[in-house]
Amino acid sequence: MKLLPRLPDELPQEARELLERRAARLRDKPRTTEEESVLWAAEFPVGEDSYALPLETLRAAVPLKMVTPVPLSPPHVIGILRFQGQILTALSLSSLLGGRGWREDPAVLLVVDPGLGGRLLALDCERIPKPVPLPHALVEEARARSTGAVAEVTLPGLHQVNLLDLRRLMDRRASEKRDA
Amino acid sequence: MLDPMMEQLLPGFLDECKEIAERVTEHLIELEKAHDQARFDDLARGLHTLKGSAATLGLSELSELAHRMEDVVLPLRGKNVALPGAMTDALLKTLDVWMAHLRATTAKSELPELKPSHKLLEGVRQAVLAVDAGKPAANNGKSPAESEKQKDKEKERSKPASEKKSAKKEREARSAAQPEPAPAEPAAEEDALQGEEAGSWRVRTREVVSLLHEVERLREVRLRLEERRRELERALSQLARLGILAQTAEVRALLMGVQRALHADGEEAGDIVASMEDELKAICTLPVRTVLEPLRRSVRDLCKQSGKHARLSIVGGEVSLDRRVLETLRAPLVHLVRNAVDHGLELPDLREARGKHREGIIVVRVEQQGNMLFIEVSDDGNGLDLALIRQAARDLSIVPGAELDAMTPAQLHQLIFRNGFSTRRTVTAVSGRGVGMDVVRSQIQALQGHIEVHSTPGQGTRFTLTLPAELGSSPVLVVRCGEHELGIPMAAVETSLLARTGELRVARTRVQLSHREQLITTQDLGALLGLRQPEVPHDGQPLLVLQSQGRRIALAVDEVIGDRELVIRPLPPEVRDLSAYQGAATLARGELVLIVRPDWLSGFEKRDAALTGTRRALVVDDSLTARALHRTALESAGYSVHTASSGRQALEQLRHSSYDVMVSDIGMDEMDGYELTQQARRQTELEMMPIILVSARDSDADRERGASSGADGFLSKKDCASGRLIAEVRSCIARRQGTG
Repeated sequence: MKLLPRLPDELPQEARELLERRAARLRDKPRTTEEESVLWAAEFPVGEDSYALPLETLRAAVPLKMVTPVPLSPPHVIGILRFQGQILTALSLSSLLGGRGWREDPAVLLVVDPGLGGRLLALDCERIPKPVPLPHALVEEARARSTGAVAEVTLPGLHQVNLLDLRRLMDRRASEKRDA
Repeated sequence: MLDPMMEQLLPGFLDECKEIAERVTEHLIELEKAHDQARFDDLARGLHTLKGSAATLGLSELSELAHRMEDVVLPLRGKNVALPGAMTDALLKTLDVWMAHLRATTAKSELPELKPSHKLLEGVRQAVLAVDAGKPAANNGKSPAESEKQKDKEKERSKPASEKKSAKKEREARSAAQPEPAPAEPAAEEDALQGEEAGSWRVRTREVVSLLHEVERLREVRLRLEERRRELERALSQLARLGILAQTAEVRALLMGVQRALHADGEEAGDIVASMEDELKAICTLPVRTVLEPLRRSVRDLCKQSGKHARLSIVGGEVSLDRRVLETLRAPLVHLVRNAVDHGLELPDLREARGKHREGIIVVRVEQQGNMLFIEVSDDGNGLDLALIRQAARDLSIVPGAELDAMTPAQLHQLIFRNGFSTRRTVTAVSGRGVGMDVVRSQIQALQGHIEVHSTPGQGTRFTLTLPAELGSSPVLVVRCGEHELGIPMAAVETSLLARTGELRVARTRVQLSHREQLITTQDLGALLGLRQPEVPHDGQPLLVLQSQGRRIALAVDEVIGDRELVIRPLPPEVRDLSAYQGAATLARGELVLIVRPDWLSGFEKRDAALTGTRRALVVDDSLTARALHRTALESAGYSVHTASSGRQALEQLRHSSYDVMVSDIGMDEMDGYELTQQARRQTELEMMPIILVSARDSDADRERGASSGADGFLSKKDCASGRLIAEVRSCIARRQGTG
């Protein structure tokens, strides 16, 4: 036997209006989000600071295991690993950023697409990042101020998130390598 | 104008003709040197096929020109003489024009003029006939029917044009009614080709590449199936250890069934992967001879221009390669072979004066070892002229003078790959522009390969190209060195043996192994890879005798794990520059193993001195990232860093090497940092070594425990993150030195 929800044949005017208002609010919600215009980012800590990557660059978060160290490689290279048929390089984000350590030993690798022709990279991370919306206006303002791979986005309440530009970060690394 | 239906067939026809033209070219070049009946017959068949196929598509002008080429060649059938040089030239030039005309027809571009080719052929034909006139040649070796046809043709040529046209129509009509009997073998070949063509599809490269990646993923799935089966096996053995066999009998039976099924599924998946790889290989590859054979023509033409004599020998032309790789390889190979003629080989008289054969030899050898491809282009000419290279580098200001004077021959050889480098003072059609070897190298690097040059003055030059091949697997010997598993291509492994003290000659700077009445330099793999200080092999330690590029070394490893068939893949760009590695391969458990290049191992005699003169630090941490960070900090402060992932491994390192400081994590499995410190302090030689413990926890109790175990310093991870590691290291060393 099929169970169907029981609906009153005719709703009272008051209830109908209430449902209408709720429906209108629900319909309006996406428009409001669009108006706010945010950049969704993956936020995570690096030492004492908070960093973020545009969510669109994040491909996966995988446990930091099955990484093969590469002797003689530069210190910021943690090793290589397999991911969906590709061999990726795992890099120490803290080391790339000129940091000196993590508060906890990283347990996660973020697989990211830095915009280098579809080539993926893995970056270590203390924990699985959380998605946060960063207002576009603030992001653009921070990017305009920034000259490097990190744009300092100051959110209301003075919470600062360092938004990473991976392509610039990797370009900087490549030019350092060339100079060396 | 061509029938639209015929037009659609043109691209396929062009491909077919390219292959035939390459074959005809090869035959012409060889027949110019000496007569060979089988070659002659195949040449005739090739020309006949060009004529027939062109006619079928309505390309009457091309059919006619091929017919003229036949006319020139066929009178020599059965005469047992080499093709005259002028005839070969005329035929090769006409064939070029023929192909250019076909390409232009296909591309609907401007058609090259065919009249000069007709004229050229006619001139050659008349010359041959004139020479032949006085000699009875038994129908020129032709069958009576062919002879009759030849007479018909002669008659026809003497007719006026109007008569010719009607005769041609008549002949075509006769041909349609009674097809001209083609030789049985090529007809069968053509039928087979046409049959294949009819049943073939045009597929985009991108789609095939994507399919290749899917097969690679399927291979990984197959490996994971095997891993799941092993996990199940471990779970079953744990049940047995827990002593609950009776209670779990039913579940165990079920799991064992699943385990068997997983094994069978894994095997089947393996078979599917292998068969798909084979099929894809057939689709994606072409024999390398398709690129190499046309080089015979280049060599011949260059020799004609330069007055040199050369023979191109191709070994391994049947090896099939990825079509994309072949296409990219074409230009570098042409360049290397042309260089060999132009720069490498001497003029015949000079060769003779040097005791060499007047004819120089250029050898292109292709060899595929698993999924590594080796191509050698060598010549027996002059060899690279070091004085000339040095002078050119000086003139072009490529390298500062002082640096140039100090360069070894091998370093000078590398200069030929510099952009703009050329030893030629004048620009010729072949060389002198300084554009070449740098492009060759960059093209090989674009294929994720590398090029090496070896040269002996007066004896010749050899270029070796090493490239990864997309498909196939290589035999690799997997060894252990400390915590690292590494692969060494089996092709380089001559033998493995256990070290015996009596067979080792230990000198101050090096260790040698006495092996088969030879003294071979012994290297420690760990030291070469910067993992530890060099060690003299202990009694019973495995040694691998490797041979690469004419050099032999004995390589000390910690353990020989075994040989595996592995697919070696290029490293990602961030680590591809490391010359130590050929690539990486996936082991059965799914982890990657680095494959060490044998020539890198055998090429460095004094690498083990690299760490002398700097301060040394040992970092012990079971976290890869923590090791990377401590290493970054310490190396930037001028330390040479070795790492260990466990207390046990650290003690092993400390037994053989001395360090100025040890930085160790506390929270490690098996042996924590406290125990490691205590064990180190029990050894007299380590009593004074500064030890700093690092912990995620930061309490007074932890600090006290660290101090009581013998550590000099204690840092929390937070302290490290705020950059205190180096300051603490310096402070601990200073304190020890003050007390020491």
